[in-house]
Amino acid sequence: MTHDRLLPGDFSDLEPFSAWGLATETARNHKRIDCEQAEIEAFAKAMLPRLDAVCDYLDAFSLDALPEDARRLYFMLVAVAEIAPCVEGYGSPRVPNGYDSRRFRAQEDFPLRPRV
Amino acid sequence: MKAIESDRRSLHERYPYLGTAPVPIDPYISADYFEREKRHIFKKVWQHVGRVEEMPNPGDFIQVDLPASDASVIVTRDPGGELHAMHNVCSHRMNKVVYESRGTARKLYCKFHGWSYNLDGSLSGIPSEHSFFDLDRKACALTPVAVATWEGFIFVNVDPKPSMKLSEYLGPMYAQLEGYPFHKLTACYSWQTVVRANWKLAIDAFQETYHVAFVHGPSIASALRRDKGGSITPIDGLCDDFHRRLSIAGNPKSVYGNPKAIMENATGAAPAAGQRPIAAAALRLGRNGMKTTFDPSDYPAGLNWTGDPDWAFDINVVFPDFYLSLRPNYMQAYNFRPISHNETLFDARVYYPEMTTAGGRFYQEYMKIALRDVLLEDLSTLEHTQSACETRAKSHMQLQEHEIMVRHNAWVVDRMIREGEAAPS
Repeated sequence: MTHDRLLPGDFSDLEPFSAWGLATETARNHKRIDCEQAEIEAFAKAMLPRLDAVCDYLDAFSLDALPEDARRLYFMLVAVAEIAPCVEGYGSPRVPNGYDSRRFRAQEDFPLRPRV
Repeated sequence: MKAIESDRRSLHERYPYLGTAPVPIDPYISADYFEREKRHIFKKVWQHVGRVEEMPNPGDFIQVDLPASDASVIVTRDPGGELHAMHNVCSHRMNKVVYESRGTARKLYCKFHGWSYNLDGSLSGIPSEHSFFDLDRKACALTPVAVATWEGFIFVNVDPKPSMKLSEYLGPMYAQLEGYPFHKLTACYSWQTVVRANWKLAIDAFQETYHVAFVHGPSIASALRRDKGGSITPIDGLCDDFHRRLSIAGNPKSVYGNPKAIMENATGAAPAAGQRPIAAAALRLGRNGMKTTFDPSDYPAGLNWTGDPDWAFDINVVFPDFYLSLRPNYMQAYNFRPISHNETLFDARVYYPEMTTAGGRFYQEYMKIALRDVLLEDLSTLEHTQSACETRAKSHMQLQEHEIMVRHNAWVVDRMIREGEAAPS
C-alpha cells in the first residue's frame, strides 16, 4: 500500500507528525491534552530545527490561500505554539492544577478571529 | 511617552477612605447582597458589550444577556451606520425577538407572530394588523436602551435615564488613554466559560500581582519584574470613585514579558534559547510579520503613566466588570458578567494586530496560547475559593498594600449600594 503525501515534498521528514496539522485551536488543544508528554516532546524535537524552513516555504503563499499540503504544514507550525507551554514550562500536557480547557471554549466563529 | 510624576506615598496612604481593615466576605457569597448589586449597580451603570469592529456593516447586530440587569439587549447598526440598543422583548407578547448572539438583518422579525422591527427599534410591520384595537404604533417600538462608544468599545446602560453620560463616567480616569491604537488591533481571539464563583471574587483574581509567583510559577512568573525583595509588585496604582488602574513591569529578557521586542530588530531581548527555544524561535520568526506599525504617537500619556522603562502593561478595571489590559501592541479585554451570586460568565478576548507572515502568525499563536494557559491557571483557584468562602469558616479576608484593588472593588460596590438605598425612591 502506498500513502499519499500529506505534506509538501521538502518536509517529508515531518510526515510522522502530520496528525498535528489540525485546523482549529480547539482541535489542537484537545490533541495536546489527550497526548503523552513524550509524544509532545518528540513533535517539538522534530519541528524545532525545521521552523525556519517551514516559515520560508509558507511565505511563498498567501496564508488565506494555502494549498492543502502547505495548509497542513501551517497548522503543524501553530501546533508547536500550542505545545510550547508543555515543553518550556509545565513538563506535562495539561496546565498543572489548571482549569479544564474543555470548559474554556475558544470562540472559533468570532468574526474578528483570523481565518487560519 | 511622557511620564506623569508618580506619587511617592503608599497606595493605602493615597486612598485613606478605603481603610486597612480586613474585608468581609458576605458580599461574595450572599444571594441577598447580589440582589442589591443588581438594583443599585447593574441596572444603573454603563456596561461594556463589545467592539465596533465586530459589527461594521449596516444591519449587523449583537445580542447580549445581562442577567444582573435582568435584561437581554440587542445592539444594531442602522443603514446610516449609527448604533442603537434596545431590549430584546417583542411589544406584542414579549417573546425574544433575537435568539442568536449575532447576525446581519434588514429587519428584526419576532419568530412568534411575525411582528417586525426596523434596525432603530421602531415598529415595521404586524401580520393581520387590522385585527388589533387602537394600536399605538409608536409605543410599539422595541424599548430603547442607552448606548454609547468610547474608543470603539460599545457600552450599554439599561437605566431608562442614566445619571451620567458614558464620557462623564469614564473620562476622569480614562480620558488620558484616548488615542491608544485600539483600531489597529483587529485580530481577536476569545474564549468563554461559566465559572462557579462570584463576579467580584473572579475579577479580584486578576487585579493584583501578589498571586503571580504562585499561581503562575511555571509559566509567566519569570516574565514579570521582581523588586529588590524578590516580590512581584506593581509599578503604581490609581483609584477613583468607580474605576482603578495598575501598571506592571515586565522582565525585558523574556518574550512574554517584553511585547515590544517583536517590533525591534535587536536580539538583546531574546531569552536564552537553551531554556525556551520555541519562545526564541517565535520571536525571531515573528519579526516583520505585522500588517501595521506602531509609533510614539500611538502611546498616550496615560499609558505607562510613570514612564517605567521595563513597563509591560497597564490593567484598567472599568467598573463594574470590564477588565482592559493595554500593552504596547496588543490588549486583553475581559468581561466578568454576573449570572447569580455565585456564577459568572468569563468572556476573555485578546486583540492583536493582524499578522501577514507565517512567522508572524506563529509568534502570535505562541503569545496567545501562553495567555490562554495563564488564564487556565487564573481560573483554577476561583471555584475552590468560592466553595471555601461558602463554608463561612472565615468571615473576613486579609489584604496587603498591593491588593488595594480588591479592597477598592469591595468599597465601590458597597458605597453604591449604600447610596442607592439612601436615595429617595
